[in-house]
Amino acid sequence: MDAFEVLLGNSANAHGHLCPGQVVGVRMAMLGCRLIGLDEPTSHDQIKKLIVYVEMDRCTADAVAHVTGVKLGRRSLKFMDYGIMAATFVNLETGKAYRVVSTEEARSLANAYAPEIAEKHPQQLEAYKRMPDSVLFRVQEVRVKIDECDLPGPTRYKAPCSRCGQVVRDQREVIKNGAVLCRPCTEDTYFSDAKEVTWPDMNWKPGNSRTQGRQDTKITETNCY
Amino acid sequence: MLKKIRLEEAIGTKLAHDMTEIRPGEFKGAAFQKGHTVCNEDLCRLQKMGKNHLYVVDLDEDEIHEDQAAAILADALAGDGIVWKDEPREGKIKLMAGRDGLFAVNTAVLAAFNMVDEVMCATLHNHTIVKKGELVAATRAIPLTMKRAPIERAAAIARQNGAVLAVKPIRKARVGLVVTGNEVYHGLIEDRFAPILSEKVETLGSQVAGVTFAPDDAGLISKAIRSHLDRGCDLLMLSGGMSVDPDDVTRQGIRSAGAGEMHYGASVLPGAMFLVAYLGDIPLLGIPACGLFHRITVLDLVLPRMLAGEKIGKAELAFLGHGGLCKDCKQCVYPHCPFGKGA
Repeated sequence: MDAFEVLLGNSANAHGHLCPGQVVGVRMAMLGCRLIGLDEPTSHDQIKKLIVYVEMDRCTADAVAHVTGVKLGRRSLKFMDYGIMAATFVNLETGKAYRVVSTEEARSLANAYAPEIAEKHPQQLEAYKRMPDSVLFRVQEVRVKIDECDLPGPTRYKAPCSRCGQVVRDQREVIKNGAVLCRPCTEDTYFSDAKEVTWPDMNWKPGNSRTQGRQDTKITETNCY
Repeated sequence: MLKKIRLEEAIGTKLAHDMTEIRPGEFKGAAFQKGHTVCNEDLCRLQKMGKNHLYVVDLDEDEIHEDQAAAILADALAGDGIVWKDEPREGKIKLMAGRDGLFAVNTAVLAAFNMVDEVMCATLHNHTIVKKGELVAATRAIPLTMKRAPIERAAAIARQNGAVLAVKPIRKARVGLVVTGNEVYHGLIEDRFAPILSEKVETLGSQVAGVTFAPDDAGLISKAIRSHLDRGCDLLMLSGGMSVDPDDVTRQGIRSAGAGEMHYGASVLPGAMFLVAYLGDIPLLGIPACGLFHRITVLDLVLPRMLAGEKIGKAELAFLGHGGLCKDCKQCVYPHCPFGKGA
């Protein structure tokens, strides 16, 4: 693994800014990988052995993902929306898993570790570099049971929605009163008031140039079921 | 795991911990010790102490008792020059100075340690001069029984920079004094700096190797400095000429002697016009005139720390500000006062 400062610099660039969360996230990932025995997680022979669960969608999550190389789309990054600054690192080969939790008290100790820096943000940033892992984190050894439908690899399961026909992959369909439904058809979704539309330049494909300007756009609604 | 039983049912069981009795103005201590087997005759006294129930301890594999925890913590906290005995009283273990010297606390690490819910450690102030055998700190776990892991985490935190607590020996320096000022040099007034500074140096166990007088002349001050260095002095003190008058040339004298690093000004009253300079590793201290009129000044805060091996630079002089105002009490009781305790 690269040195801390290198990892931090690259992670901050990828994320868009350098912040205390980046420092915590890089260190969280370094510790987690060390604990499960994967010291080069982005390398060819280790990348498929790692799954990381992040429990928050904050700067720290980006840093953890960047350092470990896990990605949503490769199914190696799992987002558990708990609102907790923690991540669990799973070694798929050995089955070992450790949950690394960022401590709240580290926040209060910023002034003790970097008293010469008066401004809050820079002080926190520097302090988080000076605190040892024992102060920044608590670690739990955990057991993580990963369902087959959550593992990386090609899609193993597909089911069509009995109401709208939408194909649902990876056993994410919902069974309601014996019927197989896609999530939108259960009406428990993040969006509402869905109406199908047509849109300008519908036949665009890579290689084409745009034929319509913004002023000409007209979005037509059609009634649909 | 703790089981709660009624007092009457406790006959024949062993006490899980020291039982503290307090009779205000008379007594505070262990009325009963951990492990004591409760008998009929004890019930009355226990009831008078307000006990209606007692705990019976039955530890799980991953749990420890407060006494075991205290020993784990004391071992982690105690650095060089600190001694302790594994004899917890009411769950507490005391840490003592193992030698004469300067008590040193890593305050950031102590804060991190004390942020762990299950533990505590209270200490004297950093930079306190202590004698061998003196109580400098005490530690204990807060719950009666607890999981081992948080205690071991607290111990790991305590060990992060070596150890939190230490007593550093105060070295015996060979001090060269340069008393500057035309009025003293030409005999117009009698010097009082040399006896005052010599007493402070000797009280700390060091020796004044030589006293030189110099007028307000940078060249002659520089020469006096060099002659002390040739004599083998490893710490220099220069008094007078530290203020803003045109005749105050002591700083120039120090610079001419070859001092590389200079920090002029300390966040302390009395003693704002104090100077710390270094010629290689040898410290040169510029002592302002307040040293003649105040029993205790910035010098008393800084000198023991230097002799204990601390490098005093800009940050150290700046951080003295909090607690750096002497209250100028009619009866000076330093060091048993707030002066200098904030750094």
